[in-house]
Amino acid sequence: MSDKADIGSSRNVYLVGNPNCGKTSLFNALTGERRQVGNWPGVTVQKIEGVTRVGDLSLLINDLPGTYSLTPATPEEEVVLKTLDEAASGVIINVVDIANFERNLFLTTQLLELGVNPVISLNCFDSFTRAGGSIDLLKFTSFTALHAFPTVARTGEGVNSLIEHLARPDSLAADCCANLLALPETWKTAADEVLVRQNLRWENATPLQKYDALRELISLKPLESSPEVQDIRRRLATQLSIGREKPLKVIDLACELASDRYRRIEKLIAACAQIPGKNIPAWQEKLDGLMTHRFLALPIFALLMAWVFYTTFSLGEIPMGWMHALLDWAGDFVKAHLQPGLLRELITEGIIHGVGGVLVFIPNILILFFWIAILEDSGYMSRAAFIMDRIMNGIGLHGRAFIPMIMGLGCNVPAVLATRIIDNRFQRLLTMLLIPLVTCAARLPVLVLLCGTFFPENPSIWMFSLFFVNLIVLVFLGHLTSILFRSSDNSPFLLEMPPYRLPTPASVLHMLHEKAMHFIEKAGTVILAGAILIWVLSVFPREVPLSFDYQAELAVLNSQPAGATTAGQIAALQHRREIEQMEGRYMARIGKFLHPVMAPLGFSWRETVSLIPGFLAKESVVSTLTVLYLPYDDDLGVGMRKTGMTPLVAFVFMLFTLLYIPCIATLGVVWRESGSTRFTALAMLVYLAIAYLVSYAALKIGETINSQTSAVETITIILAACGAGWYLLRCLLNAFVGRKCKTCTSCSACPNKSSNCSGG
Amino acid sequence: MVRTTSSLADLPEGSIGTIRDIDALSPTARRLLDMGFVPGTVIRAIKRAPMGDPTTYEIRGYQVGLRRSESSLINVEIKPDVR
Repeated sequence: MSDKADIGSSRNVYLVGNPNCGKTSLFNALTGERRQVGNWPGVTVQKIEGVTRVGDLSLLINDLPGTYSLTPATPEEEVVLKTLDEAASGVIINVVDIANFERNLFLTTQLLELGVNPVISLNCFDSFTRAGGSIDLLKFTSFTALHAFPTVARTGEGVNSLIEHLARPDSLAADCCANLLALPETWKTAADEVLVRQNLRWENATPLQKYDALRELISLKPLESSPEVQDIRRRLATQLSIGREKPLKVIDLACELASDRYRRIEKLIAACAQIPGKNIPAWQEKLDGLMTHRFLALPIFALLMAWVFYTTFSLGEIPMGWMHALLDWAGDFVKAHLQPGLLRELITEGIIHGVGGVLVFIPNILILFFWIAILEDSGYMSRAAFIMDRIMNGIGLHGRAFIPMIMGLGCNVPAVLATRIIDNRFQRLLTMLLIPLVTCAARLPVLVLLCGTFFPENPSIWMFSLFFVNLIVLVFLGHLTSILFRSSDNSPFLLEMPPYRLPTPASVLHMLHEKAMHFIEKAGTVILAGAILIWVLSVFPREVPLSFDYQAELAVLNSQPAGATTAGQIAALQHRREIEQMEGRYMARIGKFLHPVMAPLGFSWRETVSLIPGFLAKESVVSTLTVLYLPYDDDLGVGMRKTGMTPLVAFVFMLFTLLYIPCIATLGVVWRESGSTRFTALAMLVYLAIAYLVSYAALKIGETINSQTSAVETITIILAACGAGWYLLRCLLNAFVGRKCKTCTSCSACPNKSSNCSGG
Repeated sequence: MVRTTSSLADLPEGSIGTIRDIDALSPTARRLLDMGFVPGTVIRAIKRAPMGDPTTYEIRGYQVGLRRSESSLINVEIKPDVR
């Protein structure tokens, strides 16, 4: 094996840059791999790789999460810092949105200070020059020692010369005489003194070690650092105070370092570039004025949402009808060509049903994401988040969470997928946790059916009260999480308002393709497996030992002359056999096993059993109950009353059905989108616990009204339920976010990497 | 010429101010500093959201929305209306 040739034939390239600077577009232009291109800060959430070849050389391109600064505020941004040492051994491309030059150069300055010399891609160069800006690239290179390439990532302009440069062996920049962005000597000396204490020197420390030294100098809690470091900080502050009116305080060192960086950036820009006076065209300001207007913004947003909702769920029904027809045809086809038996049942009831359960979501997802792509690419999404933030903040969510939540009313599955538009991981998970509590359209018919069955006199009042309780639970849970969240989160709310742009058909089409494939591959398999599992539980074991020889008895009855009495007897016998078989299946066995847990809520074993197929689809709760109550009465409602079910228990049962679990499809996407089994399992536990606690509290309140239980007992139970809910939620949050120390920006930046710090 | 200082959160819509200082003890302030909210920078309040929070600001040629909880960390010197 020729090692040298192999080493020389591949090179690692890392893309870093601010959110929304066109990094993802550049990645696509470099690798040719079309991916999500959004006009939304933070589309890239994980490290994504791609390969491009130049001659024999292959460039392995890593797309790092977008960040404004190396100092991380979120787990995504921490990835950049963690990869820094590794990245410094390869080539780093720093994507700089030149239309937003000063702020983008901040990250460049930080990289340069740490001895990392990135290749600069001056992106969005077209809008910069169109606005009247210009830059002297030769001067830029001589003042920074960095190679810079003007690019327009959206169209691919300038990308070729960037690739050619990456392929050259000398793509690393040489040192220059007077680097305008370099760290001032005063700071360098102080950082060196910090490093000496760890037997390191500034010159040969790795970028991450240098970063840590600087971080210690500007730490927020000076008293926590060692006396020597405190001394270094004091001396640094004194030195920097020379020639100032007011002496610099040690605590203001962080502010001073940032100010100094911006002063250097301003000097550099003044030396080599002409920045256009006004970046934002007049029409954009007018449009923005309308979209965020004090009185018109909300109606405009409501209209847009109504349109998106209508097209997603009403127009989506048309292709869904075709899909149902196709599946029915497939089922009939199998029935016509296969002998009755287990295999046929597996194909028709298990597989075709399951596949249908996956495909049925595709039209909704495609239509919804078509609009999301357009709203995102055009820049309206940020405005929507801006106007809705106040309301969403009330339940601890980000303004961006509004669209996924409202889509949840149609169907939870596309809504969970839509949480992708939220860039903060914790906010995204929180939204995912809350979406299943939004009553989707599919739960509506189940509630109508149940209310009509249990309360034939006035079903609407009961339905209204169910929705009301559901809403309270949603807001309450949101509030609780937000209270708990605030203490563990310190990522600031920063909503960048990108300029309005025209969405490109290519990026919209790409997003649709990616969403549909992603859903089928990732969530589809989970949903299908779940559907088949439930089917297996409901039909196995095949042979159930029967208490009675139905076959013989039926044969006797059949041989008798037909009459009203014999027909009735036959029907009754068949019912009894059906129930006995059902009771013998695994599903009913599990239900009966779990019954003692559910008994405090007043449920009989029949209700408990019916909840299990409800995992798959809530409609099955009704159909299972109907079969189980057949021996008492043909009418489910009458049958239930005959066995002594009170309206109160019926209401509690409905409440539990509404809350206990979202459908298996929603759980499947939550699992895939969160990327965490632990989160999904804990979320499921939270739903079950909430359903149980709320139902129990409702039962006790009802009993108090009927004066069966004393008020004191009820209040105690409700308080205990709230406490338990609180505790559970805290466990969930702690398991997930980790208890971050308040002082650190992240766990990797934590001086005492303590065990209770489980985040990122 | 009267110069007044106030919290950025209280900067009226359409007014221009100069950042005077920023709460050094808050971790959020770090990020704001990195994004260019350093003393001496000119900042303009563009628009408050329909429900009064957040507010968009223009700083260093870009626009960003901040909640009151963030903007109250910053003190600005309000320039008298130049128009």
